[in-house]
This record gives sequence, C-alpha cells and structure tokens, in this order.
Amino acid sequence: MVDNIPALGLSLGQMAKACFRRAEPAKPQAPRHERQVGEGAGSPIGHMSLGAPARGKLPYYLRMTMPTTPMPSRASQGSLACVGLGMTLGSHLTPLARSHIMQADVVFAGLSDGIVEMWLQRMHPDVRSLQSYYREGKSRFTTYQQWVELMMTEVRAGKRVCGVFYGHPGIFAWSPHKVIEIARAEGYAAHMEPGISAEDCLYADLGIDPGRFGCQHFEASQLLLFERRIDPTGYLVLWQVGLVGDRSLARFQTGPAYRQVLVDLLSKDYPLDHEVIVYRAATLPIQKPRIRRVALRDLPSIELTAEETVVLPPAQRLKPNLAMQARLAALDEQENAGVPA
Amino acid sequence: MTDTMDWLEAIGQDATLRHASTDELTSTLEAAEASEALLAAVASGDSAWLAQEFGYRPMMSPQSSQTFPEDEPEREDEEEPDAEVRLALSHD
Repeated sequence: MVDNIPALGLSLGQMAKACFRRAEPAKPQAPRHERQVGEGAGSPIGHMSLGAPARGKLPYYLRMTMPTTPMPSRASQGSLACVGLGMTLGSHLTPLARSHIMQADVVFAGLSDGIVEMWLQRMHPDVRSLQSYYREGKSRFTTYQQWVELMMTEVRAGKRVCGVFYGHPGIFAWSPHKVIEIARAEGYAAHMEPGISAEDCLYADLGIDPGRFGCQHFEASQLLLFERRIDPTGYLVLWQVGLVGDRSLARFQTGPAYRQVLVDLLSKDYPLDHEVIVYRAATLPIQKPRIRRVALRDLPSIELTAEETVVLPPAQRLKPNLAMQARLAALDEQENAGVPA
Repeated sequence: MTDTMDWLEAIGQDATLRHASTDELTSTLEAAEASEALLAAVASGDSAWLAQEFGYRPMMSPQSSQTFPEDEPEREDEEEPDAEVRLALSHD
C-alpha cells in the first residue's frame, strides 16, 4: 500500500490533514431555517415539518421525499453524511464511507451489533450510539425522530456530522432519509453514501438473481395491512417478519398468532408446503449466514428474530403474455418490411 | 500483539481468512496466540463466546416501518423524548 507521496514529501496522513483541516466551529447565529420557514423558535423537532404545509395537500405518493440538490454552503457551516457500514465487520465498509467517518467531528451510530459498534468506536473518538433511544413500549417513530433531532442539533452547531447505519443507510431506514431532507432544506450540505445491505447479502448467500423472475419486497406488516398484489411467479421477500402485525410500532417481537395471519394471507397464492427461506446475514466475519428452509405452514412455530428475512421462491411458472407477444411480433414484421415502427 | 478486534477486522478484510475452514482459521489464530474467547467462538461456530471479552449488549435493529407509509409519524410522548435528547446533548 502506498503510504506516502515522495514527490511532495508528505505522508497520506499529512495530506489528509492538509486537505481536510477542520473548519472552525460556526459562531452561534440565528437559525436560518427559522427565517426561511417563518416558524420561529421552537422545539427542534418542529423543524421536521419543513415544507409540510405545501406537501400536505398532495397524496403521499406524490410527495415522497426525493433528495433535492444541496444548496451551496460555506466551509464553516455544518454538514451531514449518512453512510452505510455494510453488514459484516471488516468486509463491507467502503473507503469513502470510512473517510466520512474519520473526517467527521461527531459520529452517530445506528448499528445492529454491539461488537460492530465497538469497532466503529476505534475509528473515531466521538461515536454516539443511538441504541439507547429504543425502548419497548415506545413508538419507534419517536425514536427515529429523536435520532434526526440529535444529528440536526450538531449540524446546526456547525459540526461535520456522520450518521453511520448498518447495511445501507437508505434501505429500511427512516432517519437517514429524513435528516438529509431536513438538512438540505435548511441549506446544509448533506448526502448519503450507499452501503452493502442485507438485501445484497441475501442475493449472494442464497444464489438469487432478482432479475431472473422478478422480485417483490414488502415489510411484512404492510403486506397484511394494505391490499397488495403478490406475484407468485417471482421471488417474494418479506422484511421484519419477526414483528409482523405490530400496529403500535412499539414492539420488537410478535407471537405465532400474528405470523399465522401472515401465513393465511400467503396461502392464497402459495401452497402450505411451499418451501420458504429464513435468512440472516453475517454481522461478524467469523459467522456464517443463517439460512433455514421450512414449509410455509411451519413459519408461525419457528423462532424468528427481527433481523431475519423470509424469502418465498416462485410458486408458479411465468405465464406468457400472448397479447403483448403478438403486438411485438407485428411490430417486428413492420420493421422487417422496412417501415420503422 | 493483535487483539481480538484487530483480528476480526483482519479476517473480514482477507479473502483467505474470511472463507477459511474452521480448522484452518483455528490453527492460524492459535499460532498467533489469539484470545481464548475468539478461539472458542471460531472453533464452536458460536460468536456468543465473544461476550466473554466484549460483554453482552442486546441491540435493536429495526430502523424504519413501512406499516403506514403515507403518514408522517406523530410524536406520541412529546415531553419525555425531548428530555432524553436534552440529556444526551448536555453530556457532549
């Protein structure tokens, strides 16, 4: 590995210090977000409603939070990067994500493994765990909002903030998307660096190519609570089955009776003896992925954690769409006859 | 001397170690005088042995809910969480 640049007489560490010297913390000033949205001083949580009055008139599927282009920012202002640590200690952290961690003033950790969190603490002297905000009986949405509030408080104080989340910071993770949306709305530089997700590991460990037959993903509870169309000719991946049916968002586990409701729903499209795969990625490099295969009917009776994912392989063959094939054939004939379609 | 965390990082980053058999990895770690907890975890295939060295800390993993995707979440216990956050910030 190259650890110095002879032509400049600098080590990489010296180069990094020269290039990324930390800006002086910003002096306290009137929060720009207050001037922008005219909300006045209030609880920081109030800032999360930025833009809500305008967007609130739209149906949710038209006001999904697409990241906006960051507004120009000064070096003395705070900034935010949400990065993924990947799933497996040592194996998945990208060089760029590591760089964000090391150059940050403060790091917040939303990780799923205590040893992985200790590993992160070796990379930075100020790593603040977000774990303590979880509590049985407390809505997880409250927890996720607190995480946003914690990160934004430091950004507004002029700090370079790095939120580190297990897997990919933007997959099944509410706070990273929300805090980036808010930071950008307030004029701070903010962006997300992807990480290797549980979904990525699942494809590799189970030998599934989602493009082969297509692949649907649902949070298991959403599948129960809303009318969704399951396509049993493709893969079906169900997340957070261990707490399926929890409408309070305050539990971390639900029992067999809740999973039986899920099985009853799935049994409309799959036979009860259909083999399903229960999967958990390795978080430590001395672990192997946990892969179990059970019949659909047995899903309620097995032990299942919130980290485990249930995969249903296709139960039916792909059905040719004869009408569309006929239309395409007609277009081909037209093209072959020299008439551009 | 390489400690257990260094070993975990090294194993995670090395193609040979990451996919070594249990016997091969155990031999490598024994020769390097790795900790008893790490050796036991590798030999048994049970990473719970590492709690001897790092302690046991249950971790929650859900970070989102798509259960009600069209609703912006409402804070339920307004006072208490703010107090929690203020406490956290006051310790910085």
